Amino acid sequence: MNVMRFDTQQCERIRRQLDAYLSNELLVETTSDVLRHLEGCEACSRELESRTKLRDALRKAAPSQLPPERLRQTIHQNLRKTQPGFWAKLETRNWVLAVAMVTVVLCAAVLGQRWYHLQQRRRLVANILSLGVSDHLHCAIQGHHYPDVANPPEQLRKKLGPEYAGLLGVVQQKLPDFQVLEAHICSVPGSPRKYIHFITRGRGTILSVILTKRGGVSLPGGRLLLAGVSGGVPLYHARLSGMEVVGFQYKDYLGFAVSDLGRNEMLQVAEGLAPALETGLSAGSESEDLGITIFRPRALQWRESSGA
Amino acid sequence: MFFRPNMHVEEFEAAALPHLEDLYRTARLLAHDPSEAEDLVQEVYLEAWKSYHRFEPGTNCRAWLFKIMFHRLHHFRRRWIKAERIQPFESQQQDNIMADPEVPEEIRDGDILQALERVPIEFREIVMLADVEEFAYKEIAATLRIPLGTVMSRLSRGRKLLRQQLAAVARSYGIGQEQPRQRQGESA
Ligand SMILES: [Zn+2]
Ligand SMILES: [Zn+2]
Repeated sequence: MNVMRFDTQQCERIRRQLDAYLSNELLVETTSDVLRHLEGCEACSRELESRTKLRDALRKAAPSQLPPERLRQTIHQNLRKTQPGFWAKLETRNWVLAVAMVTVVLCAAVLGQRWYHLQQRRRLVANILSLGVSDHLHCAIQGHHYPDVANPPEQLRKKLGPEYAGLLGVVQQKLPDFQVLEAHICSVPGSPRKYIHFITRGRGTILSVILTKRGGVSLPGGRLLLAGVSGGVPLYHARLSGMEVVGFQYKDYLGFAVSDLGRNEMLQVAEGLAPALETGLSAGSESEDLGITIFRPRALQWRESSGA
Repeated sequence: MFFRPNMHVEEFEAAALPHLEDLYRTARLLAHDPSEAEDLVQEVYLEAWKSYHRFEPGTNCRAWLFKIMFHRLHHFRRRWIKAERIQPFESQQQDNIMADPEVPEEIRDGDILQALERVPIEFREIVMLADVEEFAYKEIAATLRIPLGTVMSRLSRGRKLLRQQLAAVARSYGIGQEQPRQRQGESA
């Protein structure tokens, strides 16, 4: 063994490294430096031992702080009471909305019944808008069924079939900030509903434009429910599963624009898009059902594939 | 029907709930009492759920939850931090790198937790994140939104303070003025 050289400067230098050494945060070269010193310096070895002991004691003691079982249950229940993104609107300081909501709540005391009916219809709107959100989440977001580089337009038109090929140009023209990466007809597992689906990228996110046959589904009327009207097309808005969705209703179709952009941005997008798509739809032949190849993403990737 | 109000809540829970114990443990050792820790953890889960769409699947969910927790802690729990600051803590000046007290031969869980409680929160949180939750320095820097260098210096200081407080706890028994208090969570 070497002569014990208690080189204060050297030891101080090493000890400043000991904390990072203990956390495995040193560069390999520095680590070997420290190791070499430790081999020859008993004082620093003991110091490392002490620090390790302290750390291990804390690591052993801390897990004894277990959460009470009711905490898990409370969280479980609270999550089910909370619509994702609901209060997030308030956090974005959308005070107009906040005030409107408070006003609505106050009126509820007086107008209980009407309120109840309005709520029912709101829920119906949310139900219907959730069609678009489901497809966006399932197909575009979770399924990631789009390429990084946009598919060529001819290919997309082919996928859409003659009836809907014309819509591609409409979407591209009305969404100048977005690039259409993918277009296809798709469906959500467990549902016979088919969606004409445009997946676009722009403004740092993915935005879906979705059309589906109404099939008897009808968005309820009423000024309070509308987010706006554009070119005679009523627009509806909701925030569901963390996504902003604007829905629009045509004679035979429902349309959706879905993304995680802000509400106003999405309404703006929909204002341009909704009337143009209507024109595009009526230009196509309105005869048969979607009698073309249905795009079915691999079900495994869809975590919600079991249906309702 | 197609309506699924709790569409992703199960998915969220599957990703986030496994970290409940870790979050609670850290919250509990930073909070003044258990109910405050429970409140904080509940808020973390609600906030995480509300912004779940911003969570990128495949990234570290645990780190994300901790980040939310510390963000809430620093923004809405200033009181915790202020209350801590008033507490005087000795030995600030004797920071000589060689002058650390002995680490006791045997360390009881209750003793070290009591010692940890006496460490000011800005050091305690770093010690918790590094030594108990085993986050990398880089992750800690991101979680607490502080520079890497600050993480390193606070961790060193935090460990040192913990050691000093542990020695103080041990001394208080040694003198025999105080019986070792049975602490909740002290293991046999
Ligand atoms: Zn040495
Ligand atoms: Zn699709």
